[in-house]
Order: sequence, then C-alpha cells, then structure tokens
Amino acid sequence: MTTKQLTNSLYGWVDERLGLSEIAAFARLKRVPVHAQSFWYYWGGISLFLFLVQCFTGILLLVYYRPGAEAYESVRQITFVMHFGWLIRSAHSWSANLMLFAIFVHMFSVYFMKAYRSPREFGWFSGMALLAIATVFGFSGYLLPMDELSYFATKVGLEIPNAVPFIGPAIATMLRGGAEVTEFTVQRFFALHVVVLPALFLPLLGFHLWLVQKHGNALPPSEEAKHPSDRKSIAFMPGFLVKDLAMWLISLNVLALLASVFPWSLGKQFDALAPAPLGIHPEWYFMSPFEMLKILGTVLPGEMGEIAGLLLFTLGILLWLLIPFYDRNKESGRRARTAHYFGILAVILLLTTTALGYWTIRQ
Amino acid sequence: MNYPFWDIPHLGSGWVIGLIAIYHVMISQFAVGGGLYLPMAERKAMRMKDRAIADAWMAQLVRHSKFFLILTGVFGTVSGVGIWFAIGLTHPEATSTLIHNFVFGWAIEWVFFIIELTTVAVYYYTWNRIDPRLHLTVGWVYAGASAATLIIINGILTFMLTPGDTWIAVAGTGHEASKFWNAFFNPTYWPSLLLRIGVCTSLAGIWALITSSRIDGDQQPALKTSMVRWSVKWLVPSFVATPFLLAWYLFMVPETQRTLLTLGIDTIAGGTFSTVTRIALIIVITSATIVAVAYYLAWRNPADFNLSHAMAVLLLALIATGSGEYAREMLRKPFVIGRWMYSNGVRVPSIARLNTEGYLAHSNWVWTAPDGAATSSYSRGEAIFRGECGSCHTMYGYRSLLRLMNGRDRAGIRNFVVMLHDDKPDSPYHKFMPPMTGTPQDMDDLTEFLNAKVNPPAPSRPKPLLTAQR
Repeated sequence: MTTKQLTNSLYGWVDERLGLSEIAAFARLKRVPVHAQSFWYYWGGISLFLFLVQCFTGILLLVYYRPGAEAYESVRQITFVMHFGWLIRSAHSWSANLMLFAIFVHMFSVYFMKAYRSPREFGWFSGMALLAIATVFGFSGYLLPMDELSYFATKVGLEIPNAVPFIGPAIATMLRGGAEVTEFTVQRFFALHVVVLPALFLPLLGFHLWLVQKHGNALPPSEEAKHPSDRKSIAFMPGFLVKDLAMWLISLNVLALLASVFPWSLGKQFDALAPAPLGIHPEWYFMSPFEMLKILGTVLPGEMGEIAGLLLFTLGILLWLLIPFYDRNKESGRRARTAHYFGILAVILLLTTTALGYWTIRQ
Repeated sequence: MNYPFWDIPHLGSGWVIGLIAIYHVMISQFAVGGGLYLPMAERKAMRMKDRAIADAWMAQLVRHSKFFLILTGVFGTVSGVGIWFAIGLTHPEATSTLIHNFVFGWAIEWVFFIIELTTVAVYYYTWNRIDPRLHLTVGWVYAGASAATLIIINGILTFMLTPGDTWIAVAGTGHEASKFWNAFFNPTYWPSLLLRIGVCTSLAGIWALITSSRIDGDQQPALKTSMVRWSVKWLVPSFVATPFLLAWYLFMVPETQRTLLTLGIDTIAGGTFSTVTRIALIIVITSATIVAVAYYLAWRNPADFNLSHAMAVLLLALIATGSGEYAREMLRKPFVIGRWMYSNGVRVPSIARLNTEGYLAHSNWVWTAPDGAATSSYSRGEAIFRGECGSCHTMYGYRSLLRLMNGRDRAGIRNFVVMLHDDKPDSPYHKFMPPMTGTPQDMDDLTEFLNAKVNPPAPSRPKPLLTAQR
C-alpha cells in the first residue's frame, strides 16, 4: 500500500466517523465579504490567536509556578534560572497585552461597522463579556509574580470594588482573602486565573465563534447600501483562511519581536511594610477608568465623588452594551448617527483619559 | 576629546541615528534594487509578444517609476543627509576618521549620487518622449550608478566592523589613507556586499508589490497577476542565498565580536541569548514570514492582493531590515571602529594617556570655570558621564543608568566604575563595553554624579551643569 493510499484510507476511516468532508464542504461554501473595510475582519482572528498563545505559554508557566508564599521565588526561577523561562514568561505577558489591544480594536471595528445590529446582538453581548473576562484575566495575572509593582497595583486596584456602596467591602475582602493583599490573595487570584476564568471564557468563546459562523461577517452600512450583485466576496476556505493565517503569522512576528527584545522584567519582592513606590498605576487597559474616577474625585471630593464616578461609569458601560437595542434599523437614520457619534466620543474619551493618566503619573 | 557632546535625553543619540538610518536603509536599498527592477521590467515588456499586456505593463511602470522617483529622490535623499547630520553630531570622532580615511571614496560616492538623481529624473520624465531603446539605456545607467553607490558605501560600513590588520598597523600614524584599498576591501566586504544586494532585490520586489496592489484586479486581472507574481520572484534569490551568505559573513567577523552572539548582554536568564543573537533570530523569523506571506497572499491570490496585504509585507520587511541594522551595530561593540575606536569615541591607544592625565584634560569643549577656579566633583562627573557613557546610555530613558545602577549605594557605584576602569579580560562587561578611562579622581567624580542621581538626598534638587566651587 502506498503512502497516498494509506493516507486516503485513514482519512476515509476518520471521515466516516467525524464527517470531516461535510465540514470542509461547509467551509468551502461559506463566503466572506471583500470591501474597503475588510482589514477589520482580521482582528477577531488575531485576538483568538493571541489567546491560543496565552494558553500554550500559560500551561508551560504552570509547570514551574508555585502560588502562595513561594510565588515570587518561583517567578524568579522561571525568569532567571529555567532555560528560556524568560522567553515563555515574556511571550505570555506580551500576548496578554496584545490580545487586549486586539480585542479593543475588534470591538470598535464591530461597533463602527454596526455589526451589533439584528441578528447579531448575542455576538455583541458575548464579545463584551469576553472583553470583561479578559480584563479580569489581566488583573488576576498581574498579581501572580508578587513583586513590588504588582503588589501595590493590586492593592490600589482592589480599592475600586471596595468603593461600591454596601457590598463593595465584602467583595474586596473576598477577593483579597482577608483585610490585606497577602499570599492568600495570590492563591485566590491563581485559582481565578487558571480555573474559574478559563471555565467561563472557553464556552463563551465557543458560543461567540458559533455565532460568527451562523450569521457570517457583517457588512458595513456602505456595503449594505449596494446591490447584492455589486458586492464582492471570497470563499472562507482557502481564500480567507489563508489570509487569516498570514495575519496570525504577522502577529507572531510582532510578539516574537517584543518578547525577545523587551523581555518582561521582574521587580523587587514585595514588602507589605514598605511605602508604595512612586508612580504606581494600573495597567494601560484600566488607565482610562482610573483617570476618569480620579478626575471626578477632584470635582466631587469624598465618598460622593467615588459613588458618582462608579455610577457614571456603570451607566456609560450599560449604554455601550445596550447599543443594539437603541440602533436597530439598517437605514442610516438619526439613531444610527447618534450611535456613531457616541462611538467617536467613547474613543476620544478612552484615548485622552489614558494619555492624561500617563501624563499625570510622569509629573 | 575634540568635539562637544550631543546630549539627547530619554531617547539617546544612538537612536537618533538608528531611527533615521532604518528609514533611510528601507528607501536607499530600494533605490539600488528598484534601479535594477525598472529597466529589467521595461525590457521584459518590450519583448512581450502580446502588445495589449505589454502596453499595460508600460503604463504600470510609468506609475511605479513616479512612486520610485518621489520615494528615493526626495525621502531617500533627505534622510541620507539626515544621517550625515546625525552621525556628525553623535559620533564626531568616528565621522572624522571616516572622512579622513575615505575622502576619495566619499567623493566618488557623491559623483554617483549626482548621476543617480539626474538619471532617475530623466528616466521618469522621458517615458514615451524619447526612443524606447534610449529610455531603457537611461534606466541601465541609473542601475549602474545606484549599484556603484552600494559598492562604495559597503566598503566604508564594513570597515567599521573589520578594518583589517593592515590598516590597524598604520592607524594613528597619519598614513591611514595610504591603506585605503586594504581598509575598503576589508574581511567582511564581500559577504556583506552580496547580502546587501540580496536585500536590495528583495526590497525592489516588496516596494513593487505596493504599487502592484493598487492595480484593479477586476478591471485588469492579467496585468495584476503578472505584475504581482513577477515582483514576488524578486524575493527569491535573497531568501535562498541569505543563510549561506550570513554564515560566510559571521565566519569573517573576528572571534572577539562573534562571542557577543553567545554572551548575554542583558544577562537575564539561563538559556538566554545576547541581544544581538535575539535580534538575529528575529531576522530569520521575519524573513521566513515574508516568504510565507508573499507566497500565500501574493503568489497564490494575485488578483485579491490589496494595499493592506502589501503594507503587511512592507511592515515585516521593516522589522527585518531594522533588526539587521541593529544587529550589525551591536556586533561592533565595544567599538565604533573595530579595534581602533571605542563606541564612546575614545581611541584605543589613548587609554593609557587618559588614565594618567585625566579624561577631562583632553575634553576641549568642557566648560571650565574662569580664573582657573576648580569645578565641583558633581559637575566634572556629569561631563565625564556625557563623554564616556552618553553615546550608549541615557540617565532616565533608553539604557537608563538610573535603572541599571538602581539598588547600589555609593560604594557599590564606585566598585562598578572601578570594575569598568580596570576592564579585566574576565569581566562580563569587557566584551561589549568600553573601559572607563581617567584618573582615580575621574572615577570619584563619576561616582559622585551617579550617586547623586541614583541616591538623591531628600528633598532632591536639580543641580546646575557646571558650577565653580566656592
């Protein structure tokens, strides 16, 4: 029996049981629109790729990481003793940041292409939930090395849930595992990071991807206005898939460049009795809400300011989340324009408050 | 030292050169490779039997040559002049050596620049205005002139890494220029030239993909397919030959420099590589990606190949080129001119004299207090920092000394400075950092300055640059 015959026979055996041909036939039939904004279609795939990188590097880190009192020492060993441990850790941290960046780009591209409109509302909601979980992934992972910066940043970060009226202190205490950030907090964050969050993220991701398959790629309003015969599209397989994989490869290059040229550093071991280092600040993806709360705090000092800030912020997120119920029509009417301006306002607010946050830290 | 120090806070003067150079190299190497691409494409079109496709090719080449003229003739030229300004300010000692040693080399280079700029303008403005054969000849003249600029500059650039024993033997005697050809055809000249030719042809193809991507695939599928595929072929020679040429190049690099590849400059972990090795690996990864992306996006789907795809390939080429130039610079450490001048401008034979007479005694541009009044230790230390460290380090930004010295007290900083001064062969810094030159007083002064920055007295007050002691 030749190799080709053997491969065919093996494929036939698997195909009979799993129906691979049907999947391949479906993928060949599936079409992806081609237009001036097609570039934005790739950002969901890039986010997925970076998530896969995190799973792979996270599993490798899991082999050597020891939560609890030995957390810092184990990260020190990974970074300075284990062969290529620094590279795996750097790739994990950089891919986390790049993934959040890719998700933000994906979210705004979906928003401005109006891809949240019927029948894709659940795609929008599940995407927003995935973003929320991804930020919690970032927050929980940030503490795990237990160096000076991560310790104090987490301490400051947990002040936000603490400020929620009535239930806030209880939530913060539950997350900390006590009144202070200690090795118990690391233990809890570790469980959250490697068990709870993946258990939530993975099925939700599956649901999100299934919705994309079910409804296909949304057309931006400018394309929808065209007659169907004037619209261009390519087959998902192999045309779009090959391009998607090329984007993955480019993302891998960017990741390799960042991880190898700018390895993720490890600060001093935390000292709970030491004063917080100067310029302590949250990660870039939390900088905007952090700065907004800070600005509101100066306008309305005291507890009132904190509560007003949280309420305003929650209201903004709710409006953003519920946009599919407001802007429903395919026609470019008043509501569509309002939603568009709301999106532009959100982008400007996000960018300016983030820049302002970094600027004030430097002062 | 004969020149003033150019202090660029945060970014560092090295990056001023780096940023201009990477941008310039992307364009200047296109000027060479693209110079070959245009007449070859024109000749191919002239030989085509199908006149319709030949005319479409010619029309596309007119568009491409306009892009080529603007990019190379404007941006390439301006950035080239920018490099001269940048290196003159950042490394005046090294620039002076290059000018004195290669004065006729530079003169020839500039003659070819003038021919290049003239012919590229003539080439573009005479499309369909002069006899096609004469037009093609203009293209070949341009190709020859631009290749000559590469042939010359390659000799000067490789000289900085491997000046060769013959030139080193006469260096400092005033007869350096008599060994012009030895310095020019130095040990790494040929592998470097072939490597750069490969990069030039690749960039010719990559930039041509930019203009080819603008062809409407629906309106002119045959033109787009043939143009895109022909441009992709320009990437092939380089990607086949580069691994062998790179091995040859590294074989010609002195053993002392080659060890940098296995040394952890950022000494971060077991199983780590030095920065230069990591950067070199980036070149390999990115080059392989360019091949894969060009094959799948351009060769397999030429009609759908759009500007975003072409920009992605260009971005990868930018990463590969930037990494290549950075690695080449890093491989030269601790010298700016191999075995002759350290990266901070101190000549190797001057070390003993500076250690006896003091570093500042030979720094002509350092301000001294009037009436011979003594300057403060802090101020002298700052001047030494700028002269000896400032070429590679900044205080607060790139390769920040504040970060590198963080955690050391005064005694720790002093020990570190002494270690750099002694520069023992077994020192981990010996292979990639110049020795700290100067008298024990200079070491004290540098320690004083660094300590004031790393461990500022509370409240910290900024001190003036140079102050006379009262």
